Amino acid sequence: MPDIAIDCRNLVKFFRKQKIPIRLLQDRILRHRLHGERIQIDALRGLSLTVHQGEWIGLFGPNGSGKSTLLKVLAGIIKPDYGTVQINGRLSCFFELGVGFHSERRADENIYLHGLLQGMRRREILQMTDHIIDVAGVRSHCNLPLKCYSTGMRFRLAFAAASQVDADIFLFDEILAVGDTQFQLQCWEHLASLKRSGKTGLLVSHNLNDLKKTCDRILFIDHGQITGSLEEEALKAERSPDAVPEVIGRI
Amino acid sequence: MATHRFTFSQSLQVVLAIGWADFVLKYRGSILGYFWSLIGPLVRFLVILLIFGPYVSSSIPLYPLYLFLGIIIWEHFTVTTNGCMGMLFEKEGIVQRHPFPHFLLILAVGWTNLIIFATHLVIFALFAWYFQAHFTLNALLLPLILVQMTFIALGVGMVLASYCLKYRDVCHLWGIAIQILFWLTPIMYPYRAQETATKSIVSFFQQPGFHPLRQYLDLFIHFQPISIIINDARRLALYPGSSGVPTLLHLTGLTLICIMFFLLGKWLFDRRSPYFAQEY
Repeated sequence: MPDIAIDCRNLVKFFRKQKIPIRLLQDRILRHRLHGERIQIDALRGLSLTVHQGEWIGLFGPNGSGKSTLLKVLAGIIKPDYGTVQINGRLSCFFELGVGFHSERRADENIYLHGLLQGMRRREILQMTDHIIDVAGVRSHCNLPLKCYSTGMRFRLAFAAASQVDADIFLFDEILAVGDTQFQLQCWEHLASLKRSGKTGLLVSHNLNDLKKTCDRILFIDHGQITGSLEEEALKAERSPDAVPEVIGRI
Repeated sequence: MATHRFTFSQSLQVVLAIGWADFVLKYRGSILGYFWSLIGPLVRFLVILLIFGPYVSSSIPLYPLYLFLGIIIWEHFTVTTNGCMGMLFEKEGIVQRHPFPHFLLILAVGWTNLIIFATHLVIFALFAWYFQAHFTLNALLLPLILVQMTFIALGVGMVLASYCLKYRDVCHLWGIAIQILFWLTPIMYPYRAQETATKSIVSFFQQPGFHPLRQYLDLFIHFQPISIIINDARRLALYPGSSGVPTLLHLTGLTLICIMFFLLGKWLFDRRSPYFAQEY
């Protein structure tokens, strides 16, 4: 399957929890009977998905429908109870901007650690640190700890660091719901450039219009299952030629 | 499955970077800086020395050094085990949202505390120079003690970290256990190092006035690994002449036991870590 980037079959993930959760060891030992009743939350119910290389898929659905769980299973953060996942290519996931960033560290220190966590090599990170600082537009603050940055500067730095990661498959979970208009525009432009360069992507968003602009296919997820889809032809018909200015209009 | 595999060299870079960053950040912005790490053990050292010192110092030569070395090794153990649990809470963002071998976070804790312990050892050396203790070449084996203690502390730390997210009172219970263990470790009182293991076990049930609890505690104090490690460190650094240095067989055996603790902890941690993200 050379042209398949992600192939998952019959994914099942459930969370078994006590109705009254046990959070203390002393409760487990001493008051076990009080917490005996269990409930099962089925986050994924036999979900199968194939993503071809270069394809961008949008995942849309209400809260608790299983979108984020699916991404976490694909990323290997959560182990599925049943089913298989096959990833062909280097994976990079962004479930939150600035993972590993610390408010007491400077920009270059945060970029370095972020890069290491993304599996980049020391030399690679050092080579692109200046570029990331320039792209983020935080050169004036680069000797200050992150706590001295405005929220917008932090977002820009985090996104600039994230966008430099060299990977074949990208997973994004609602990270573009933050920041101001200019920041969002920058993000969408970057996603478009990733798509043009043949990368594969999975995007989770609560905004269907955003997904329509970038994705080749949109899958509707509810109760841990794919309940419908918008295929490429339908999306092409809907897609406006001036997609980026439309973002400004909507906001 | 899924994610990018970290090579050995990348893992090493991550451990060194996170560990060093945590060491630096711990003291960045505070007026006392690094000396914060010294205040805890130093206060404990002074309190014990001033209150209990007069009762035991006559039977233990170089008692201030004996006590200080015991306290810094003990501190290394407690700070590392607590650090293993704390790391999962501090790095919640990474654990929940990043496909990353969690084991590396534990190694980073070990690295951070190894740096701090090494600096404490330098201070111990300065103390020793002040008290005119005579170091021999045997003191060069002290880093081995440091490695043994790190292995055992990380092993115990990983067992605790495996369950500290699921059961939030594990940290609290460990705090109590640490208090008890402190008194069951010969840090401020003498260790009966002269008896061999076999002789002790044989004589265990033959002592006059046999009292089960007292005897079991005695046996525990004598043979628990932290007691042995601290005693070995003192024999190497302070009393190579009078107590005799630990044999190669003894050091190898103890190192293997420490590695066993570490592997047991790692096995449990690896089994539990896929569930960490859903236990916050």
